[in-house]
Amino acid sequence: MTDQSLRANNPSTIATGLNLKEHAQTVRRKLVPLAWTCASLGLFVAIWEFSWWQGWANPLLLPPPHIFLSNLPEQFRFFDPTGGRAGALSEGGSIWSVLGVIGWSALRVTLGLSLGFVMSLIVGVAIRYFNIFGKLVLPLVTMMAPISPVAWIPVAVFMFGIGNPPAVFLVFIAIFFVMVLATLSQIDAVPPHFIQLARIMGASKRQIYMQVILPAILPGLFVTLRMNLFAAWMVVLIAEAVGVGSGLGQVTMMARNTFNSSLVFFTMTLIGITGFAFDQALGLIQRKILWWIGPSSIGRI
Amino acid sequence: MTLGLSISNVTKTWNPDGSSPTPAVRNLTLDVNLGEFVVLLGPSGCGKSSLLYMVAGLEEATSGSITFDGLEITQPSPERSLIFQEAALFPWLSVRDNVGFGLQIKGITQTKRRQKVDDLLKLVGLAGAGDKRPHELSGGMRQRAALARALAMDPKVLLMDEPFAALDIQTRARMQDHLLRIWRETGASVLLVTHSIDEALALADRIIVFTSRPGQIKAEIKIDQPRPRDLHSPEMVDLARRCDALLAEEVNKAFAEQELL
Ligand SMILES: Nc1ncnc2c1ncn2[C@@H]1O[C@H](COP(=O)(O)OP(=O)(O)OP(=O)(O)O)[C@@H](O)[C@H]1O
Ligand SMILES: [Mg+2]
Repeated sequence: MTDQSLRANNPSTIATGLNLKEHAQTVRRKLVPLAWTCASLGLFVAIWEFSWWQGWANPLLLPPPHIFLSNLPEQFRFFDPTGGRAGALSEGGSIWSVLGVIGWSALRVTLGLSLGFVMSLIVGVAIRYFNIFGKLVLPLVTMMAPISPVAWIPVAVFMFGIGNPPAVFLVFIAIFFVMVLATLSQIDAVPPHFIQLARIMGASKRQIYMQVILPAILPGLFVTLRMNLFAAWMVVLIAEAVGVGSGLGQVTMMARNTFNSSLVFFTMTLIGITGFAFDQALGLIQRKILWWIGPSSIGRI
Repeated sequence: MTLGLSISNVTKTWNPDGSSPTPAVRNLTLDVNLGEFVVLLGPSGCGKSSLLYMVAGLEEATSGSITFDGLEITQPSPERSLIFQEAALFPWLSVRDNVGFGLQIKGITQTKRRQKVDDLLKLVGLAGAGDKRPHELSGGMRQRAALARALAMDPKVLLMDEPFAALDIQTRARMQDHLLRIWRETGASVLLVTHSIDEALALADRIIVFTSRPGQIKAEIKIDQPRPRDLHSPEMVDLARRCDALLAEEVNKAFAEQELL
């Protein structure tokens, strides 16, 4: 912003040269991190391939990328497009079935995350807004927060049986309590001057919550949500492996049971890429919608 | 009934029942007349902010009473607007929406707000900045936006807590000019806290020098000189010296006390 206006004030700068230079800078800014990502990945793959080549890594147990990525149609066969039981070898077989399976996992994560975000926001705000409700609920939340989502698996199955609901429920549980506590600490961290100002301007308690506290805490909560994204992914994979009977987690479990190491690593690759894509998508939402954290404090997460 | 602000025998103790009660203001009596410009000058931590918060209605006095136009102050009100050292603009609103925030709370529609807000932005010299976001403004511009936000509520008293302390000297001088012009145009009373003797001399009808904590009135200095004032004139230099001596005494006392702790 500042150096832009500085340059605009400088009459000697030629407009086209300025644009070209700026353009080059933007491209550079985008390409450099990308190059590092590729280098990081490349190094990892290179070490792996090298150890296979040297004969250190048993290709049956630790097949290097060029092996488990070489026979894609063979791998695709294990992915059932309907999201039903994986391993139905006759049904699957195309890239679409792979995307279908990823889609089911992603859908469960998205549903669980959205539900968890909205509910934790409502409960968190209610704890501070309604005094008695807060006193009754807060100790409960604090006690439930440290319970691992894995411990909730039997509960999820008792309550929802098998299928999508228990998986969504587990993702929800994985972030709900943490996010309620995050909401509370965000509310307590709202600058007192903001609230004092609103009071002076004649805002009611309801108006202060809706028009000052809510917009003030949303960006921070979104950051917390993004940090919990990976936890949500881990939980959905476990849930799928244990009880849901479909999705990426189920494919991994099946691959393990049938001792198909190529499929294990192929699925792990898919999980990594999907998680990365999710994180990028949340980052984009954060920059576009919740811009008021200010460009400087968002940084380039 | 007295018009204007009347602070009588006010004491403020923070955490009165707690383990470490902190007396911030003790037995303070001060009247601010309609349209008067009063500057509070005192060492750090002597309770100036505490006093402003009580006048704003954000904090209750431990004892004594504060009235405005004869009515006891029990809660905050837009007619006693407070301006902080940092502008405290809402980062999620445009400058225009920030300035119109109080009007919007009052339920005035967007179209009706627009005219008034744009007039105010012009008044504080921010006519072109209405659509900007607060983080795009400089410190001085932000503080002027905060001033406009307060003025939108047609306040009868402007309470200002070191409003220009975070600005550089040149910007500060310009802001003081702005403030004097607005003060004259609106006819509001001003109660302003500052650490700067020059600022006090440039602005005040009356300077109140505080003692160190708990704050009490140490001296009162009336200035009749017309504004803008030449701070290098013999009278002003004289006044500056007097303020300096008064303050130095209290600062020394405050330091001695802190060293004992
Ligand atoms: N909310 C609070 N709770 C407890 N103590 C407080 C509170 N606010 C102020 N104090 C105490 O009251 C005393 C006076 O503080 P105050 O902020 O009014 O001083 P001040 O004159 O504005 O100082 P400064 O010039 O540094 O801003 C200080 O000792 C401070 O620690
Ligand atoms: Mg203060």
